[in-house]
Amino acid sequence: MSFSIAPTAEGRRLRRLLLLIFLIALVLVLLAPLTSTDQADTMGLPELVDRAQLRILTTIAMFVVLASAWNLVGGLTGYGSFGNVAFFGLGAYTCAVVVDTHRLHLPLAMGIALAPVVPAAFAVLVGLPLLRLRGHYFAIATLGTAVAVGEVVKNIEFLGGATGLFPPILRRADLLFLYLMVAAAAIAVIVTRLVLRSRFGYGLIAIRENEDAAQVIGVNTTAHKVVAFAIAAALSGLAGGIFALWNSFIDQSLGFSLDFNIQMILMAVLGGAGTLFGPVLGAVVLELLIQVLAGRSDVAVYAQIGLGLLLAITVLFVPRGIVDFLGGSSRLSWAHLRRSLRETGV
Amino acid sequence: MTLLLQQIVLGLLVGGVYVAVAVGFSLVWGILNIVNLAHGAMIITGAYLTWWLFATYHLDPFLSLPVVAVVLFAFGYLLQRVLVNRVIRAPLFFTLLLTFGVNLVLVNLLLLLFKSDFRSVTPAYSGSGIGIGGVQVPYIRLAALAVALLVAVAVAVLLNRTRTGAAIQAVGADRDAARLVGIDLRHVYALTFAIGAACAGIAGALISTTQAITPTAGEPYTLQAFVVVVLGGLGRVGATVVGGLLFGLIETLGQTMVPGLGAGWANAIAFAILVLVLVVRPQGLMGLGRPQ
Amino acid sequence: MAALLSLTGVTKRFGGVAALDGVTFDVDDGEILGVIGPNGAGKTTLLNCVSGVHRPDAGAITFAGIPLRGLAPHRVARLGIGRTFQVVKPFASMTVRENAAVGALFGASRLPPGRAFAAADEVLELVGMADKRWQPVASLTIPDRKRLEVARALATRPRLLLLDEVMAGLNAVEVDEALDMVRTVHGSGVTIVLIEHVMRVVIGVCQRVVVLHFGQMLAEGRPAEVLRDPRVVEAYLGERYAKRAGSAPTSPPGAADAS
Repeated sequence: MSFSIAPTAEGRRLRRLLLLIFLIALVLVLLAPLTSTDQADTMGLPELVDRAQLRILTTIAMFVVLASAWNLVGGLTGYGSFGNVAFFGLGAYTCAVVVDTHRLHLPLAMGIALAPVVPAAFAVLVGLPLLRLRGHYFAIATLGTAVAVGEVVKNIEFLGGATGLFPPILRRADLLFLYLMVAAAAIAVIVTRLVLRSRFGYGLIAIRENEDAAQVIGVNTTAHKVVAFAIAAALSGLAGGIFALWNSFIDQSLGFSLDFNIQMILMAVLGGAGTLFGPVLGAVVLELLIQVLAGRSDVAVYAQIGLGLLLAITVLFVPRGIVDFLGGSSRLSWAHLRRSLRETGV
Repeated sequence: MTLLLQQIVLGLLVGGVYVAVAVGFSLVWGILNIVNLAHGAMIITGAYLTWWLFATYHLDPFLSLPVVAVVLFAFGYLLQRVLVNRVIRAPLFFTLLLTFGVNLVLVNLLLLLFKSDFRSVTPAYSGSGIGIGGVQVPYIRLAALAVALLVAVAVAVLLNRTRTGAAIQAVGADRDAARLVGIDLRHVYALTFAIGAACAGIAGALISTTQAITPTAGEPYTLQAFVVVVLGGLGRVGATVVGGLLFGLIETLGQTMVPGLGAGWANAIAFAILVLVLVVRPQGLMGLGRPQ
Repeated sequence: MAALLSLTGVTKRFGGVAALDGVTFDVDDGEILGVIGPNGAGKTTLLNCVSGVHRPDAGAITFAGIPLRGLAPHRVARLGIGRTFQVVKPFASMTVRENAAVGALFGASRLPPGRAFAAADEVLELVGMADKRWQPVASLTIPDRKRLEVARALATRPRLLLLDEVMAGLNAVEVDEALDMVRTVHGSGVTIVLIEHVMRVVIGVCQRVVVLHFGQMLAEGRPAEVLRDPRVVEAYLGERYAKRAGSAPTSPPGAADAS
């Protein structure tokens, strides 16, 4: 079995065709939910998308944001963080506190607007010491940060303590949150694209490829890393804020969920770390997979085992991500798999 | 004063378990440059194995140590040889992801087999101890400390005084040079990981006697192993012993000095120590290796 | 001619060992200065101190009148000092052209992405890599990787270029080609400091030479004189050869091509 879209003229045409198909499908998928509105009802249109499917779409959009955000630091800059969920949680909590009737009691829009700010500030604060670490140390230190922040939050009454916070429930707002989350996803992808084409983005990639060389050609590595970290934090926080309102509930186990943490990493890697569409592809594929697994059994254990196996498969067989086969230089064949295993194995 | 002494003794005893937890982890990290995120899961697997032997055959937990060690050794060898060896030259991040995946699978398999009820291993001498000058020393914890130190010594002797140990150290120092002098890398890698797994199993057996276990109880131990290694320093068994005992002391004394601290704070404390050490003295108290 | 780079009493210790001890010399604007010395003499440490990778424990380094001590590497690069590494450090997943372009984006150049690629093409032309610019780095030979390293440093528009053993590992033909490249680069107006072991290169292209030994300055002057200096020969080859060198014609026996 062999499948490739090499960067030849023919390959580029094929890639453009695929992209077009993807965009058309995307537009259709995003318009279909409108059939569940009252206006569609009066026009006699059939309801194409039910509530459960709306939830799935919204979740996919959320993970597009999270995976893209992780990709900025982990994929482009090469600093694989194991604690980005901390930013998600901080954003969710910020929004929940801001809109809570017993706390700041500000309008919902303010909640969403402020959701990226606290995580970004936190990222700058902890980024300065943490980003001096590399490899394993950075990964575990960020993991520890996420765990520690979650613990701290759980013990502060103003933040709801162990019970959590309950933002006001919005009736019939499924569509609103879907489109809010999709907007956030669009922002995430646009930001990634802007970064990839900017001097800043080249600086990040240079840091990933060889940080010492990057320094001596004039890249301010500390500033670059911290800014990337802050942008990732802001995006993750935004997703968190919207999530808190959508879910009408946030607590430590949700906001700092290690499940979410590993999922966003796997999505970015499976899709293609360091690329523009990798995280998007990974979010779609993995979330659909998870929904299928979750649907077939009511035991979460099987889904977790599936996730673990998928991690192993990704790392062993698809380390550069699906995008690599869809327009990179790799061919999906046994020979390729054997070759890449030989390169990374001993 | 006696209270302080009691806390110090308890801290050292608790530290003993941390030594057992960290020795295998440090070996695998130091030689293979693998931070094994499935370490906690292997520990808890050892704990469950001990419990099962105790519940089914009434085998004393300390007598089942060899069995647990052998089983985990075999598991570790296979895991490394078949899976981890294939990504060992890939960027570090991939081994982290792979071991995390193994962690997920292991923990959830345990959940399937044993459900999430808490189990504990309570041999006849569980509650008793000896009193030395007003300080109570529980037998079990004393035995656990003894076993942990024995394991550390055994690993050190293996590394420094046997041919296998020399091969392991050679591979850790320079993979290509080791290959050139005829060392079978795949085997030595698998062997090293297996020893690490066996140590984890032993640590699990010890833990099953000192606390109630549930499949997810292994998670904190991975982070704590990491902190102990960072605290003591990577590269020498002695450093891990110092790190483990110190960590036990800090945790125990910390809990007495700030009574309001719940169990969840253990992680936060561990993390705080980690960040402090990495910022102030990255090579750890006795470390040889470069921190990055 | 004004001194572009000025070192005064530069000292750097690692643990108890002084890698550099009171090093003092100037680099004039527009010259090619060679820095030689046996292995362990402190040559790379010297480079690292100038480029900001290490911070000297004592002494002063000034570049065009600006003190360098304590500046971060990226600041030094922005002031106009470029350097290469002994073991090349390319950006492995990029093409040759992209590697050079990144240099043009940063350093003293700081061109916007639109113009950086054109600048990269110019630089690649200068070092003789123009025909390979679309190749991925992984497919390059060692001499080409070294050229790329120089190209990337050049793209940052340095006034001073520090080359760390750029000839190491090259055969005789490749050394000649690299020598041509160094002359071309120098011709474009860049002052060069060349750390080298290959004496043929030092004699062939350097106007002045500085000799380091155990971190200290041993000799300074024109290549031919310095290489005949018995102290220098002794440092490299031992006493026996030093005595012989006293009566040698132009270069000490065995000191040529000591790489």
